[in-house]
Amino acid sequence: MQAMFRSDVQTKLVNASAEAQEVARDQGTPSDSGSQILTPGHGAASTVMESIRAYGLAVLAIAIASGIALVGDLQGLSRVPTPLFLIAIAVAVWYGGRGPGAVAVVLATLTFDYLFTQPRYSFHVGPEDRDHFIVFIVFAVMIGWFVSVRRRAEEDLRRARDELAEAVVKRTEQASLLDLTHDTIFVRDMNDVITYWNHGAQELFGWTSAQAIGKAAHELLETVYPVPFEEINAELLRSGRWEGELRKTKADGTRVVVAARWALRRDELGQPVSVLATNNDITEQKRREERIRQLNADLQRRSRELEASNKELEAFAYSTSHDLRAPLRHMAGYSELLQKSAAPVLDEKSRRYVAMLLESAKRMGDLIDDLLAFSRIGRAEQRNTLVDLGQLAREVVSEVERGAEGRNIAWRIGALPTLFGDRSMLRLVLVNLLSNAVKFTRTRARAEIEIGCTDGNQEEVVVFVRDNGVGFDMKYVAKLFGVFQRLHRAETFEGTGIGLATVQRIIARHGGRVWAEGAVDRGATFYFSAPKTTGGQS
Amino acid sequence: MSALGRILLVEDDPKDVELTLTALDEYKLANEVVVVGDGEEALDYLYYRGTFATRTKESPAVILLDLKLPKVDGLEVLQQLKRDEKLKLIPVVVLTSSREERDMVASYQLGVNAYVVKPVDFHEFVNAIKELGVFWAIINEPPPGSVRKGS
Repeated sequence: MQAMFRSDVQTKLVNASAEAQEVARDQGTPSDSGSQILTPGHGAASTVMESIRAYGLAVLAIAIASGIALVGDLQGLSRVPTPLFLIAIAVAVWYGGRGPGAVAVVLATLTFDYLFTQPRYSFHVGPEDRDHFIVFIVFAVMIGWFVSVRRRAEEDLRRARDELAEAVVKRTEQASLLDLTHDTIFVRDMNDVITYWNHGAQELFGWTSAQAIGKAAHELLETVYPVPFEEINAELLRSGRWEGELRKTKADGTRVVVAARWALRRDELGQPVSVLATNNDITEQKRREERIRQLNADLQRRSRELEASNKELEAFAYSTSHDLRAPLRHMAGYSELLQKSAAPVLDEKSRRYVAMLLESAKRMGDLIDDLLAFSRIGRAEQRNTLVDLGQLAREVVSEVERGAEGRNIAWRIGALPTLFGDRSMLRLVLVNLLSNAVKFTRTRARAEIEIGCTDGNQEEVVVFVRDNGVGFDMKYVAKLFGVFQRLHRAETFEGTGIGLATVQRIIARHGGRVWAEGAVDRGATFYFSAPKTTGGQS
Repeated sequence: MSALGRILLVEDDPKDVELTLTALDEYKLANEVVVVGDGEEALDYLYYRGTFATRTKESPAVILLDLKLPKVDGLEVLQQLKRDEKLKLIPVVVLTSSREERDMVASYQLGVNAYVVKPVDFHEFVNAIKELGVFWAIINEPPPGSVRKGS
């Protein structure tokens, strides 16, 4: 704020010193001669010297006046002496002060009485002498009064100048402080002419203060206002300040967005005189905001698209569920009826054909069912609770065992954690992994299936299902979890290839990962991770 | 097989009708089946309207109801039945292709008595139909006002 005063102060200072010089010229002596007399701190010796000089001057002035008057008298100029003595007294009073003035008056009266009044060359005091004496005294007092008035004025002037000089030093300091700030600050007068331009302004806009001062601010900066300038100005004049975002152009032509704060300065009469403008560069911030806004818009659009495609998928799944299964059922039904009614007349080959029809229809039905179940997992709402995985595993093992009668399976169920998740979904994970293990150990005389847990890390637990079955080649590991991906021929191991895809989808929805290790004929291990719960191990 | 009840089959697909009747026939249940092709006809039958205005005043022992039907769909038929003080006692079995959870939930919320998904495999289909027929038409005691064969 202070900066705006600087130029005014400078002007005042210039005026003040000019005035002082004028005064000095009037006096016909350097302006600081008086101050030497008055300046305290001079020694007693110099004061005495000053007095001697002053009184000497008085005597000398009277002596010179007397000499000139005498010369004039000899030339017959009888009116000369009085003005000469008045001048001498004036000089004595002006430069000497009261004492030398009094001395000059006395000397002048005596000299005048002795030399120029009748009877001449005598100290006889007549009425003429008395008149002269009174004239001299009145004149001396007048000069003295004039001098004292003059001195007082001079003194006031000097004090004002000193104060101004002090203020200038202070303001200059403040102005240089303003130069230190990173903020961009400039001052413009009411005609939009720049009168101050700090270092920050130079850094941001590129013009030096010498280049900027004197220019029209908004022409130089090509300011673009968010609302008509008249409105901004009205606000500024009404409240004394305005804040807003402005677009400006730098010296090199690039555009910047600034957060501008304007403050109006008024003079003593309340008239607006200048505007202090602070500008902070928010170009980068605006760019980021714009980018975020764009990203958000993109995100919203994408989420709308996703929602739409999800709805479509749902409709697709629904109609698949209703409409695709019906013709399959009919194919299977009529093939069965054909098999039954035509069996006696069909040969072996034809009976096989019908059997194949039936088998394919059934397989198609299974595929559709699995696919629908898989798509439901993606769409179904997750109802999360704390799930004791150990208990769930025992349940699933007994269920899977029922479908594997006559098999010799050694189950090992280790300590399993409690997870926060959807119980029915996690159940499906275990059903898929454990029934896979049962299936792919079919060729073993004694199957070994283990389910356990390794303490993954601080954030997650890792559960594994290990078997001693036929395993798989690690080079196909990437295909294991794909939909309808199978690593075995249908006649070796049945299945639709949806089980592990389901596992992966469920685990992903629970914030975990799935992976597998194995080797041909040496078993397989399937792992899944899940975020730890505070429940810990069960 | 002492007392065969009347079965109302609401099914628009003639192949499904044929297969269902075939399945019921294996257990000698086909004779007592009335087939209607859409929801409107089903309601006409139950309310003695239109072509059914003159039929005997008897309710079926069980209604086998498909969900995807022309004109008035299965869920709407179910809703109307279960709102009606007289008709809501008739057991309704939804017999549908759909395994969709929302159909199942909606049906149970409307008060269906059983929900059966038609299996693709014909043997299973026959078994399902047989069990349905035997349970609802023979074992189950229908509410008063339902017709029983031989009663």
